[in-house]
Amino acid sequence: MGCSSSLPDRSTGRLGGLNVSESGGVVDAKNLRVKLVLLGDSGVGKSCIVLRFVRGQFDPTSKVTIGASFLSQTIALQDSTTVKFEIWDTAGQERYAALAPLYYRGAAVAVIVYDITSPETFTKAQYWVKELQKHGSPDIVMALVANKADLHEKREVPTQDGIDYAEKNGMFFIETSAKTADNINQLFEEIGKRLPRPSST
Amino acid sequence: MSSSDSNSSSVDDPNPNPKPLDNQLETLNLEQGSGSIIIQNEDDEEGRQQDQGSSLNGSLNVNSDNHEQDDRIGLVRNVVWRRTNSEMEVDVNGPSSPSSSGYAGERGSSGVSEDDEIQEVAKDSALHGVFDSQAAWLPGKRHVDEDDASISWRKRKKHFFILSHSGKPIYSRYGDEHKLAGFSATLQAIISFVENGGDRVKLVRAGKHQVVFLVKGPIYLVCISCTEEPYESLRGQLELIYGQMILILTKSVNRCFEKNPKFDMTPLLGGTDVVFSSLIHSFSWNPATFLHAYTCLPLAYGTRQAAGAILHDVADSGVLFAILMCKHKVVSLVGAQKASLHPDDMLLLSNFIMSSESFRTSESFSPICLPRYNPMAFLYAYVHYLDVDTYLMLLTTSSDAFYHLKDCRIRIEMVLLKSNVLSEVQRSMLDGEMHVEDLPGDPLSRFGSASHLGEHQEPTDSPGRFREPFAGIGGPAGLWHFIYRSIYLEQYVSSEFSAPINSPQQQKRLYRAYQKIYASMHDNGNGPHKTQFRRDENYVLLCWVTPDFELYAAFDPLADKGLAIKTCNRVCQWVKDVENEIFLLGASPFSW
Repeated sequence: MGCSSSLPDRSTGRLGGLNVSESGGVVDAKNLRVKLVLLGDSGVGKSCIVLRFVRGQFDPTSKVTIGASFLSQTIALQDSTTVKFEIWDTAGQERYAALAPLYYRGAAVAVIVYDITSPETFTKAQYWVKELQKHGSPDIVMALVANKADLHEKREVPTQDGIDYAEKNGMFFIETSAKTADNINQLFEEIGKRLPRPSST
Repeated sequence: MSSSDSNSSSVDDPNPNPKPLDNQLETLNLEQGSGSIIIQNEDDEEGRQQDQGSSLNGSLNVNSDNHEQDDRIGLVRNVVWRRTNSEMEVDVNGPSSPSSSGYAGERGSSGVSEDDEIQEVAKDSALHGVFDSQAAWLPGKRHVDEDDASISWRKRKKHFFILSHSGKPIYSRYGDEHKLAGFSATLQAIISFVENGGDRVKLVRAGKHQVVFLVKGPIYLVCISCTEEPYESLRGQLELIYGQMILILTKSVNRCFEKNPKFDMTPLLGGTDVVFSSLIHSFSWNPATFLHAYTCLPLAYGTRQAAGAILHDVADSGVLFAILMCKHKVVSLVGAQKASLHPDDMLLLSNFIMSSESFRTSESFSPICLPRYNPMAFLYAYVHYLDVDTYLMLLTTSSDAFYHLKDCRIRIEMVLLKSNVLSEVQRSMLDGEMHVEDLPGDPLSRFGSASHLGEHQEPTDSPGRFREPFAGIGGPAGLWHFIYRSIYLEQYVSSEFSAPINSPQQQKRLYRAYQKIYASMHDNGNGPHKTQFRRDENYVLLCWVTPDFELYAAFDPLADKGLAIKTCNRVCQWVKDVENEIFLLGASPFSW
């Protein structure tokens, strides 16, 4: 596996795209640096999840993401490793779908988000999973996130459907609410734990 | 919501007093043939313009509109629209299921839910009494609950529509596009009715209303307005709206219509209402929308040079355009060799960036198209806000340049901080543009020295430059406001609004007056050195066009003509004296 598991293209450069910069990045067993991409239909709360995670904020007025926003956040795991997430928060709009490879190429982690109150967004999430299975990095860690869990009275996608789909596709599943901050940190911690580690010294 | 709106004057109302109902868009009774309808052949244009030009030139007391209109009625009288009426039924089906677009290799289903992007906003009355019209305006689409059956919708003074050649709605300024399917089909029917006759409809007059059409391949744009703006201005606004759409999608969207004429384009524009509504809003406050020029933030020459030097550094490393802007004003701008940026593209780009909140949250990397540069291809824009108003845009053709551009930005930001450019920028924002009160050269007036720009006198003053309370008199000789446009530089400078023109309504009315005079000056390619002096109950407008520059000035309606002309000469001299600070000059030798 080596270093390249968390930074798949660093050494080979075979994929191009928006890869983690060659210039910096101390990557050793204790300090990981990974590229993470969020995908999902528009309005499911991708930006809200990121802003909750990175800045601890929640803004109920929705701001449509244009292209993709780039943010980073470092977390410390219990085993004292740190993980720096370099996050690509992509726009969910249809017109950007063709450009998604630009953002997910070389990503070590993909977080695919849907909205529990909207079955169409669940369908769209499945589309993204297939897309990544076809064109994403082979070692990619995928998380299926059911967001807006606070709106349970409007739920239209049963939790079990998410769990089943995630299991079938080797992803891990979590229900979150960016609004209440429920499970947001857990999501990223769990990702951190599942990251393949470089063979340590 | 709509009840209060219909009473108060709408955003587009140049007149603070609500007009009586019958003056407003009650129904556009096209099919009843009540209005006069003009269909102009392209070749008619010459004669018509002359007609308009002459009526504008001679008159001191404006409003030649009425008889201009009468003349036009003579051209074509009461076209019978009943036939159109029957054809309308052809394509009135509601928006059907989203069909595969094929747009730029688009994948997956659509089903974009736009509802949560549309913000409930802004009673129009919120504008009243607020001085800064830009600050007071709230973004977002209004009155989504309306459709063409709503009285309030019919009373709006200015509508903009984008539709496809099959009559599918793409965008409407007011109301829900999907509910306007029938109305869109009507517009489409009008356009194709005329096209079937081998002709082209450009303008329909119906009472107080003008309906302006613009056909761009499979995309139709229509403006319905009773604001009395000239046809040329409204058409120019439609061109900008089209350009904004191209900026978001590129012209390759046309291919979707080749594949499927009934293609529904609305999902492709999902979430961009705010971009269009902000552009439409700028038609009433931003002179760049009709001047086809950009404006710079006033800065000391050295400060702008410092910013330009660092931008130039990065432009050498594969950046096509590096642009540093503060709101809609350029701080500095550098293009790679041979690459030049059209002022309209800058307007559309900055409107796109400023109206999309997400750029403020973090650094972004987004595909955009510059319609005047290359309407077919995407460029990639790295965008980062350096402070609340100042943002850096680095444009490149390379889709994987993000990390390089990020590094460039870090370098640029460091240099700008070290050389105090950012703090100078903020100070300049507070100081504002040229103030007519500071116009130098009048031997009797206060001793105001030539350049307040860049050099700060009176450091004891509180920020915001509160002047002595000469309220109501503006500058010398009753000068209230001016715009100077340098033709060679494609830049303009507009003075700060002075005391008599304070409210957004007054400012908008003045811009409309400028717009009108601009249209009349550019109408019929008259020779150089053209001047126009017009007096009405609101102001004296003086316009002077030379091969080098254009000056538009507004004076007190009682201003003396001779003095006004002298004052205009002084304004031009003043602009020349401080051109180092108000214009971006150094760009050419550096970068082209």
